[in-house]
Amino acid sequence: MIESANSARPDMTIVRVFDAPRRLVWQAWTEPQRLAQWFGPKGFTNPVCEVDARPGGALRVTMQAPDGTQYPMAAVFDEVIELERIVWTGSVDHDGNVSFAVRQVMTFADRGGKTEVTIQAFVLRSTPESAGALGGMEQGWSQSLDKLEDALAGG
Amino acid sequence: MVSSTAPDRLSSTLAALADPTRRAILARLSAGETSVTELAKPFRMTLPAVSKHLKVLERAGLIARGRSAQWRPCRLDAGPMREVAEWVQGYQRFWDESFDRLDDYLIAAQAKEKKRDRKR
Repeated sequence: MIESANSARPDMTIVRVFDAPRRLVWQAWTEPQRLAQWFGPKGFTNPVCEVDARPGGALRVTMQAPDGTQYPMAAVFDEVIELERIVWTGSVDHDGNVSFAVRQVMTFADRGGKTEVTIQAFVLRSTPESAGALGGMEQGWSQSLDKLEDALAGG
Repeated sequence: MVSSTAPDRLSSTLAALADPTRRAILARLSAGETSVTELAKPFRMTLPAVSKHLKVLERAGLIARGRSAQWRPCRLDAGPMREVAEWVQGYQRFWDESFDRLDDYLIAAQAKEKKRDRKR
């Protein structure tokens, strides 16, 4: 399953170079007390932040907005290669129903003392309904979506 | 990763869009409304199979269908697509802002380390 995520085109890719050594960036992702200090939008805090960075381990974060609203999120680590790569899959659930899952592949590359972090997101379908007619998981709706939007704009 | 404001419709839209045949149907409909028979032609599928896909698209609110018994034309409804686009943008914003904070954190953490090293 991870293989297919690697070979498929990601639905979203985000890249950023940080002016810090890779070891420190890695720690910022894998140590809960560090992750809690930056994870989430501007102004958010993370009253709950549990990181068990090993295959099968859990990531549990409760983000709190400035207005006090809490946003819990959870993911499972699929793959952890020290200093290089983290893969986790998080379910986006609404009212207790898992509606779809997002697999995120984070890669860490040394760029002459700086560190390039790339996040690739793969949207996986997981509802019984969506598993329907053709079965299995499918990815890659967003590139088609772009084309479709172009078509709509043109029409 | 962060919950959306219109979750149920968003997830059904995503589920509907996750299928290549359904995306192809939508692309075809972006050229204008048409009948189920016309839609089925390029897909080498039986009419019931196409109807199944149309039902999923209809439930997701991505298409609307005429009510006349003989000819039930299918028409694209782009509204839910906007919600998907918003979700994607929200995701992007989440990471952009987190990365800004990570940037700040890393600068502060390195300054702390330097200070500690000097003390040794």
